[in-house]
Amino acid sequence: MEEHNPSTAATFAAQVRSVPGGEHLDLCYSCGTCVSKCLIQQKLEPEYNPRRLLHMVMMDMREDAYQSPTTWLCSACDLCYPACPQQIHISSLIGAVKTLAVQDGHVSPLETVQVDETLCSGCAICVMSCPYEAPHLINKEVNGVMDRFSEVDASKCMGCGICVAACPMGAIARPGVANADILAQMKIKKRKDVPSLVVFICDWSLRADEDVALLETFPANVRVIHIPCSGRIDPQLALYALAGGIDGVLVCGCQPGECHFKRGNYVSQCKISLLDQMLGQMETAQGRVRFIQLGTQERGRIRLEVEGMLHDLAPLREVR
Amino acid sequence: MAKKTTAKPRLAFYWAASCGGCEITITELGMRLVELSEKVDIVFWPAAMDFKYADVEAMPDQHIDYCFFNGAIRNSENEHIAHLLRQKSKTLISFGSCSHLGGIPGLANLFDVETLLERVFDDIPSLDDSRGTRPKQFNKVPEGVIEIPKLYERVKTLAQTIEVDYFMPGCPPVVDQVWKVMQTILAGELPARGSVIGANPKTNCDECERKKGESGQRIKEFHRPHEVALDPEKCFNTQGVICCGPATRAGCGLPCVKANMPCRGCYGAPDGVLDQGAKLISAIAALVDTSEPEKIKEILAKVADPVGLGYRFGLANSFLNDLKYKK
Repeated sequence: MEEHNPSTAATFAAQVRSVPGGEHLDLCYSCGTCVSKCLIQQKLEPEYNPRRLLHMVMMDMREDAYQSPTTWLCSACDLCYPACPQQIHISSLIGAVKTLAVQDGHVSPLETVQVDETLCSGCAICVMSCPYEAPHLINKEVNGVMDRFSEVDASKCMGCGICVAACPMGAIARPGVANADILAQMKIKKRKDVPSLVVFICDWSLRADEDVALLETFPANVRVIHIPCSGRIDPQLALYALAGGIDGVLVCGCQPGECHFKRGNYVSQCKISLLDQMLGQMETAQGRVRFIQLGTQERGRIRLEVEGMLHDLAPLREVR
Repeated sequence: MAKKTTAKPRLAFYWAASCGGCEITITELGMRLVELSEKVDIVFWPAAMDFKYADVEAMPDQHIDYCFFNGAIRNSENEHIAHLLRQKSKTLISFGSCSHLGGIPGLANLFDVETLLERVFDDIPSLDDSRGTRPKQFNKVPEGVIEIPKLYERVKTLAQTIEVDYFMPGCPPVVDQVWKVMQTILAGELPARGSVIGANPKTNCDECERKKGESGQRIKEFHRPHEVALDPEKCFNTQGVICCGPATRAGCGLPCVKANMPCRGCYGAPDGVLDQGAKLISAIAALVDTSEPEKIKEILAKVADPVGLGYRFGLANSFLNDLKYKK
């Protein structure tokens, strides 16, 4: 911990205040309600603490603030915002700290996405789809030819994977959740007596530890594939699974208004809705792809959903 | 690949279930056809010259060096000739969207044959249905029995029927690409078997100069092309008109886009994309404005006919098709 130095105390705090979003700094009276609402604190990083970060800023602890996981992990889901008695838009404040950290040369510790320039066609689908305005188009010379590519600002990327699924060329990947990684996990040994099911689960949608633990206990005919956000689901992968003989695909995301990455659950809702329409038009595989949205209060629902889907798939198999 | 021999390479062109556009694209070579005919022998081209199936049957096996086969496989005749030409050809090129991906005829896989026949012979308002005519495979006439090809339950691509050496996409393949492929053949420089030829590796967006979308720009309302005045400078998808360009292999030179019409996807998916239609909805759905979640359903309701949109040319070659017609 660095010493609190009154001579520069105003400087860092004033700097934060002057960045858009930082102006509400002094409203915080450190009640900690934000922390109690935060999923990152509960599920990922116990050291994560917006209350403490704001306090550090007020006390001019610049380097501590820059090193704090809070500065980098906040995905602006804004679950804390309606809870704050002072109505501080905390994610904007944290964003202001992050902006300064990036200006001062700090790098996000998150696993962010990479663009493969040999594939990127510069269509800007990623630019438009990103909740964080991380990708942008650049003109650049590659192999002697000037061309247009997407470039991702790693300090803005939260690694949600929405662009990975949206990219029409498969040119964007995040280690662990590239198409090839997911395809490799889809191999299930199919059995005649029970239906096979792939469950894509958004890592944020299960709030209770028991539910997370439950995922490990499903039998071999149920394959759980972890994705960072339901917005990572690509209808291609669902159809690949079904065409390969897997009986059903269940996509689990967060309840409306609770997406960890702002809009991923809505994006997946759009995808599954259009996919449903396609299956309906083709009069095939209807009911085999399902999208559910798990709410904060719905402890235990995942078990019922998986069992329910296996139950519903059993009669569908006979008509295959 | 092509062996350098002193003899001119022998070419064949055939059409199965197709509209004839692929034949037109060959004739569009114009004076270049004259140049071509000096360097090759055309041994079979029923659309343009007088050949009979018996002529092909009489050829020794592998007599044809390069056979350009356009059209999907819709009936027993298409299938029979596909097998025959495979046997008679050293190199078989699946030419055009129908042969490559099923094409427009492949959209018939949305329906069973009975529904199609009902539509065509009973329901069409401009048709006199009082005779109740239906096509029959065997037809008695005073002179004997006439057999017409058997209509199959589904449309297949050429590669679902026989082994194909190269794929040349397009509805139809654009004439400059046809000419380039001819030059490649004459130079003996065809790539590895199984490749897509006469096209480029990236998507149409790579070559499209329209102004692309920006951060935070989302689709608040979908339109069909005829419903709005389209800005010729801007990406169609930013204007709410779905363009298949992002999910479509480049190489056509963008004639549709230059005519201010969105790409309809005839060149198929680029390498590495598993399913063109599913990939298109994966991209488009991510652009839907989600700032007012209660409006999402309303926005999506305006996406008319997602199958026709995403698989206008590729339904017979899609996962959807595999699911419906289990192999």
